[in-house]
Amino acid sequence: MSFTSATESREIGNRIVVAGIAAIVLVLGVTAVLLFMSLPDANAFNMRVERLFVENDTLTGNAEIKLLEILAQSGTAFSDTLASYRFVIFVLLIFATALLVTAVAFLVMLIALNRRMGRIERQGIEVNSLLISRDQKSVYLNDFEFKLTDAALETLSVLAEARMDDEVLSGAEIEGVISGRDPSDCDEAAGATRIKRLRDTLGNQLVSELLIKNIARKGYMLAIDKNVIKMV
Amino acid sequence: MKLFSFSFLIFCLSATFAQAACYADYKAKQDNPLRLHYGVTEVRGDCSVATAEAQLRDSLAHDGWQLLNVLGVFDESGLEERRDSAGEFYLRY
Repeated sequence: MSFTSATESREIGNRIVVAGIAAIVLVLGVTAVLLFMSLPDANAFNMRVERLFVENDTLTGNAEIKLLEILAQSGTAFSDTLASYRFVIFVLLIFATALLVTAVAFLVMLIALNRRMGRIERQGIEVNSLLISRDQKSVYLNDFEFKLTDAALETLSVLAEARMDDEVLSGAEIEGVISGRDPSDCDEAAGATRIKRLRDTLGNQLVSELLIKNIARKGYMLAIDKNVIKMV
Repeated sequence: MKLFSFSFLIFCLSATFAQAACYADYKAKQDNPLRLHYGVTEVRGDCSVATAEAQLRDSLAHDGWQLLNVLGVFDESGLEERRDSAGEFYLRY
């Protein structure tokens, strides 16, 4: 049940990310088009000077024409500046797009992380790594080290190998793998006993590590925050 | 007789002048970079702005100029006052 809702929320999150990024790119694209369109044409100055020249019949003197040409040239120089402005605006818009896209991505990542943190806090312990060390006869769950007996270590190894192959083992099969006999010859109860022993040793150490701490030469204490305790 | 022939000569000359002496002043430009000029040209044929435009457009385009407009047509009496303004483009095209 919670798995489906998690998948759904992830799908919704993905949709939000895609929609957000698309919206950013769209808005900035429209902005870029509007900006580039509203920038004056590089030839605008020349066209003004030309119109001035055509519309005024008295502007025929050599000196006056030279003056008009100089005006137009200064306008052309300005148009080079405009081209560089265009480039700067383009670069800035790309930067803005990249920044906003990362911002949205990080936001969504943050939300997802928060949800996951919440789930982890509720679930208590989530195993991120399981390392079985045969020579040290111990198993590492996350950062916790637990000592196991040979038999328990054997059971855990069998279970771990079965898990890697996505297999479910019955008690008889477990007993069969460990003892090296055919599962049909094995007793279901023998495997169940092995599981019980593994649970006992591992569970005992887990609880003492996570919940009931033993402080040397002092005594015992619950290893939890006192604010989370409620009595009903 | 001598007087008559002289006056006839004058008459003939003025007649040829009256027919040939048609001029137009115009404005033209070049792009990139913008260059402008004011010029005076002699109009051959019909003495009108339209003729001047048609005639100028081709000869100017030959040198990379673009005709902007023709201001008007006039006879030789208007030539001298425009000589300075037209400068190097005085009767060039």
